[in-house]
Amino acid sequence: MESLVSYPAFESIAKRYPQAASSLFATYNDLLHAQRWEDLEVLDLPPCNRGALKGRKPNTDSTLFVVPCSMSETLSTSWLIDALRTLDEPDGIYLAISTEDSSIVYYRISRGFAKPPL
Amino acid sequence: MDSSSSTPDKIRLSVSNHQAHVWNVPDIARLRSEHRICGLLGGTLPHLAQQNVFLGVPLILMPEEVVLLVQNEVAVLVDDANAHDTPGPEEKQLWEDQRATMIQKQLVQKAKAKEDEGISPNNKSTSEAAIRKRQERELKKAAAAAAQKAKQESGDADLSVFNTEATSSGDPAVESGRETPSSKGPSQPYAITIPTSSNSVSWYHSDAHAFSTLDAARESGIWLYPSNEEERARCGVFRALWEKDYYLGNGIKFGGEYLVYPGDPLRYHSHFVATVHISPENPLRPMEIVAHGRLGTATKKAHLICTWDDKTSSVDILSIEWSGFG
Repeated sequence: MESLVSYPAFESIAKRYPQAASSLFATYNDLLHAQRWEDLEVLDLPPCNRGALKGRKPNTDSTLFVVPCSMSETLSTSWLIDALRTLDEPDGIYLAISTEDSSIVYYRISRGFAKPPL
Repeated sequence: MDSSSSTPDKIRLSVSNHQAHVWNVPDIARLRSEHRICGLLGGTLPHLAQQNVFLGVPLILMPEEVVLLVQNEVAVLVDDANAHDTPGPEEKQLWEDQRATMIQKQLVQKAKAKEDEGISPNNKSTSEAAIRKRQERELKKAAAAAAQKAKQESGDADLSVFNTEATSSGDPAVESGRETPSSKGPSQPYAITIPTSSNSVSWYHSDAHAFSTLDAARESGIWLYPSNEEERARCGVFRALWEKDYYLGNGIKFGGEYLVYPGDPLRYHSHFVATVHISPENPLRPMEIVAHGRLGTATKKAHLICTWDDKTSSVDILSIEWSGFG
């Protein structure tokens, strides 16, 4: 991890929350290089003991928030609500679930009733 | 006269073995149209019993639906088994008399219908041509029998048993006379109607065995739901969703507890699938989020994780959708 070019960006957060480091690492790199997000920043999410990410999808204006986690973790509804609250109640957050083979799946979590897709 | 006299009667939910049934069809309609409670029909049609496309009464309610209706003071729980008292001799006699009257009415109606169609009570046509044909047939038979008799008198006498037809006069009036329906046992079939609801039975007293609160029903042992934290959570979530004007149905076909419809399920597809979490600290695995999120999105619905907080008696709703990328 340390030898990667992008490591300095999330180094301090990764050191503070070592258990969440690998999923943060995987998600950061995926968003930066594969999804090509812009203005990617690392945020501190103390109630969830990890760092979160914010940025923009390519060619869009709205800022989106991503909370990484690993498939093997156990979460809870209050964990998700804490994340939403700490990030200042955005419309929704993207939970980035990383697996041992480095696959990442993103699911949007929002409060209340989501508008059904067209 | 106070205003409560114009309010409709509370709907009776017949409880049998901890399950609530509605047997009265107008009540079923009221539950759906006035209270957004659909339930599931559990019976079939008497004339088309061997199919399950068209269902009939009783309507079976989910326990969460029952709890909501009783708490809203829309329905009462009836201890159905005990509401059927043992009939006394007078009640029995009255019931027998009523049944006998029904049977008699049917027989009279049938006889009248046959008369109108030109058929005598013993199913023989009374038209002139038919009578003439019958007479000719009888004469032919009599002649043949007489010829046989003459032959046999020179042979075996025991066969005379088969010649009794020769003695019939062939007169239709006499024939029908021989078969007048006796007052003891009618020769025509009749139908016995078994009423669906016990309301017409004089020894059924639902009011004396009705419970208008859940606590009263729980004390008597006929209705115990909700009895633990999980059941309380389900009732809480159900009510929270119902109070937002949704119609709710069973969610098994889409991998959830409830389906949430924006209007009557006969008109709309559901927009959401809801799962109940019994507390905010309840473990939630990321795999569940993947499974619910993907299934919801693939079926044009969103998944709702509804968490019940027993301490504050409130419900938190989170939507899960697939992000569309990744």
